Amino acid sequence: MGVMRLGYVHVRVTDMDEALNHYSNTMGMKVVAENEPVGASTKISIEETAAPGERPHVAVEPPRSAHLKCWDEWDHHSLVLEETGVGLVKLGYKCASAEDLDAFENRARAFGVTTTRMSKGENLAVGDGVRITLPSDHTIELYNEIEYTGTETGTLNPDPWPRDRRGAGAPWIDHALVTAEDPALTERFMMEVLDFKPSERAITDIENPEVIGTWLFCGDSPHDLAIVKGQNGKLHHFAFFMTDWNDILRAGDIFAMDDVPIDVGPTRHGITRGMTIYFFDPSGNRNEVFAGGYRTGPDFPTINWTADQLAKGIFYISREMNERFLNVVT
Amino acid sequence: MLTVTVRPGDVSVCAREGETILDAFLRSGFAYRYACRRGGCVECKVQLVSGEVVYNKRIAKAIFPDEERERGVCLSCRAVPVTDVVIELQEGDEPKCVSPLMAEVAKAELARVRARAAGASPVSAPGQRQQA
Repeated sequence: MGVMRLGYVHVRVTDMDEALNHYSNTMGMKVVAENEPVGASTKISIEETAAPGERPHVAVEPPRSAHLKCWDEWDHHSLVLEETGVGLVKLGYKCASAEDLDAFENRARAFGVTTTRMSKGENLAVGDGVRITLPSDHTIELYNEIEYTGTETGTLNPDPWPRDRRGAGAPWIDHALVTAEDPALTERFMMEVLDFKPSERAITDIENPEVIGTWLFCGDSPHDLAIVKGQNGKLHHFAFFMTDWNDILRAGDIFAMDDVPIDVGPTRHGITRGMTIYFFDPSGNRNEVFAGGYRTGPDFPTINWTADQLAKGIFYISREMNERFLNVVT
Repeated sequence: MLTVTVRPGDVSVCAREGETILDAFLRSGFAYRYACRRGGCVECKVQLVSGEVVYNKRIAKAIFPDEERERGVCLSCRAVPVTDVVIELQEGDEPKCVSPLMAEVAKAELARVRARAAGASPVSAPGQRQQA
């Protein structure tokens, strides 16, 4: 069965109150836990600058943290925030069985990357698992058990959406895009070790097909993890699913009401055919709302985009790329 | 009202109470290199040539260390001027007028502010009759 989906995203935020307002009131997530330990992953000092005359916000251990989930997710949480700055801490991918974890751990070691075992409780509500450092220096965690807390509409005669849906009302976190100095190497790892497949690739040209971007899936969505050429260990964005174009537009309205900085959109991607808005959270981490796409599967043939058509592949309607979209990561 | 002057090009705009350097510049129809506008991506770091700024929002030290501030680096999407300021953009960057209409409005605002500061009679804004 293997990897099923992106289960959680763990990011740093600079101001927890502002982050909670964004992810809860603007995006519509529910806070399921606050200030629970977020594990050994916290590496950096959380000292911050303060305005003159104000008490400087000095590091205290442990940092403020929060666990959140979207209304249509049944697992305990899908987003972990820690007040330690900006950028990605790790991504959690949920696997079908404990046997998968063993197999992936062995294959990852054979590939030559660092793996460690994580034990139940190390991540709030998450069972035993395997932590892997990708060739791109990103940390991913594989697990197969996490506390089941149910969706907001339940499993008995459910309504199509919760009556008190807030803000953009995102039903679930969909995928993440990270950057890597050598996207082909990390793609090979995801394919050989974790059985992901590329739905689409951006290549230099047909004669000299160097991979500059890859959109990888493990289930039947267009992508669960995408990797584009850039700095190792960085996050380009993580995305919230939206049902359709109307919900993308409505999310855009909410972003205007809440003064959310927009990067690009609303528009359509050539790659994945998805409909999208890119925007920034209050710490500067890029988010996306993503709708549409298509269905993949084990026999899905990989689609290629050549570098000369990449602007169209990424922003199909305008066919133009702003400088910051490819360069700005956290 | 305070003024923000951006080099190269010496483009001056007004900064309103509590407004950041970048916000003042964007509101005035101009842009330079920026992205997240929330202090996280550090695309809009510039050099503070003269003047003073304050930071009213938290900024992670990991991305904007003290030693950078001491060298006069300024994170312009979070920096609020408390005096007139002059900033120098990163090498290769320059101010771009992205909205001539907003730039006209901002230019008139700046002219009024400067006239008031000089004690002269105010210059009319577009569409307004000149005050005697």
